Amino acid sequence: MKKYLTLIGVFLVFTFCLTIFSGCADKSAVVRDDAATEDEAARRAREQAEREAAMRARDAALLTIQNIYFDYDQSNIRPDARETLKHNAAIFTHKSGKIVIEGYCDERGTDEYNMALGQRRAQEAKQYLINLGISPSRMQTISYGGVDHVLCDVLRP
Amino acid sequence: MIMNNKYVLKILILFVFLAICGVYSTAMAKVYIDIDAPGFQQFPIAICDFQNKKTGTSASSDVNSAIADDIKNYLDMTGIFKILDKKSFLEGVEPGYPEKIRFPEWTAIGADFLVRGDLTVQGKDTVADSRLYDVARGEMLFNKRYSDAGGNTKALALAIARDILMALTGDAGDFNTKIAFIIKRKTGSDIYSMNYDASGMGNMTGHQSIVTSPRWSPDGQYLAFTSYKKGRPQVYLRNLKTGSERTVASFEGLNLCGSFSPDSKKLLLTLSKDGNEDIYVLDINTMQLKRLTNSYSIDVSPTWSPDGQKIAFVSNRSGSPQIFVMNADGGNARRITFNGKYNTSPSWSPRGGKIAYEGLAGGRYQIFTVDEGGGNLMQMTSDNADNEYPSWSPSGRQIVFSSRQGGRSRICIMNVNGMKTRVLFESASHLVMPSWSPSLK
Repeated sequence: MKKYLTLIGVFLVFTFCLTIFSGCADKSAVVRDDAATEDEAARRAREQAEREAAMRARDAALLTIQNIYFDYDQSNIRPDARETLKHNAAIFTHKSGKIVIEGYCDERGTDEYNMALGQRRAQEAKQYLINLGISPSRMQTISYGGVDHVLCDVLRP
Repeated sequence: MIMNNKYVLKILILFVFLAICGVYSTAMAKVYIDIDAPGFQQFPIAICDFQNKKTGTSASSDVNSAIADDIKNYLDMTGIFKILDKKSFLEGVEPGYPEKIRFPEWTAIGADFLVRGDLTVQGKDTVADSRLYDVARGEMLFNKRYSDAGGNTKALALAIARDILMALTGDAGDFNTKIAFIIKRKTGSDIYSMNYDASGMGNMTGHQSIVTSPRWSPDGQYLAFTSYKKGRPQVYLRNLKTGSERTVASFEGLNLCGSFSPDSKKLLLTLSKDGNEDIYVLDINTMQLKRLTNSYSIDVSPTWSPDGQKIAFVSNRSGSPQIFVMNADGGNARRITFNGKYNTSPSWSPRGGKIAYEGLAGGRYQIFTVDEGGGNLMQMTSDNADNEYPSWSPSGRQIVFSSRQGGRSRICIMNVNGMKTRVLFESASHLVMPSWSPSLK
């Protein structure tokens, strides 16, 4: 039997996104190129555009709640997922509103076991967020098991 | 021939009563087919086209062969008969009435049992006389009259097939049953059901949501299931007689439907309300809830033993999903599957002792059976498909399961020896979780 490592997500969803996250990204020092050329102005403009794009992307990333992933048939929070949850928790502390944690599996395997596994993954993420200081009363868990994500988008209340 | 109608009716009732007594006394006296015996072979049976009893009140020859063909189809569904080709039949019967069977001529073609009958159509009334013979013993097992006012020969054939099964096995088989299953579509999933003979398919839920885990109560009164129709998984109980439906579990987190107790009074559930996915038992009248498992692991898919003493379930407490058996009060849990790293979907045989489940073997899901103590492991399917979600028939002689291969899904029925698979329903949609009803009235 082939060894498969599947990554299965827990989606964290804000039910009420009332405010736009207003934190600012650090302005990093611009490293100047001493060997200026004739098209210095054009280059500077391009670099400026790139920096702004990167900052917008970074701001967007900071504003966006990110999914975490699990190993096949596992529900423990991986090291990379810990960082993601810290990132998410930072967003949650700056916002009010309820948090819905959705647990998923891939569609292989038994539906009932997958529903329980998805629930356990959501539960583990919730517990981790509690440890990071998020109030449990704000959080709700729901497992979709191995159900198609597209369908979940349709069914989500 | 014209007699008082009441008189005819009385004679008919007496006759049917005697016939039923005869059938039951035969059944009690000896069970002909011990399907539990190792090396069980299918029973060769010859079914003759029915005869016109009298000239002048004739049924057409089409009807005579149609009723015989229907009996053959029904007996074939049980998986325990080998229907002999009528082209192989020798004459085998002396002319005249009452009929005299030349048994050696039936033995010669390999028949162990013989069915003969007459059909009389009188106006709208169709009357069938049917006789079952034990060829080896050279004796008649029953002679019984059946009538249908609507001329429905299928109904007559079904009644005859049921009595043949009753005479030979001691039970009425699975003819009056339905199979519920889930059709998963991109727009949602629903519970559908169809009859044992693959007729009468219908949608039972129509929720256009995620619907899963259909479970019949053993008394045939309820269907319990899980539905996301209110946006999250909740357990519903449908009264099949009145059609009324109520929510029986709507706690925070997971609410997943398990199986009923043998007395149909209690329902097993998987709930995560106390933090872990654990098994609970709910009294559906008092709504009293009792927790049965209490472990950090996932415990799910509970199924009751037919004597009500034990519960089989799936737990990953040993690292991977495996089948466990515990006492009905939650005590003394022990693991019974040790082959493979993914064993789920237990279903307890109504005849006791055996548990069917699905396990990952060679990269495919296959159906297995194992004794409740963990011994006598048998692999029932081994084809190049994913065979999942086994559920036993009430007679305990057949197992329904879903089979998926190359984008096609099937609901299949096989004998408990893994032989003779019949496809009940096939679809390009994903079909899962077939659940066999009890015998329904």
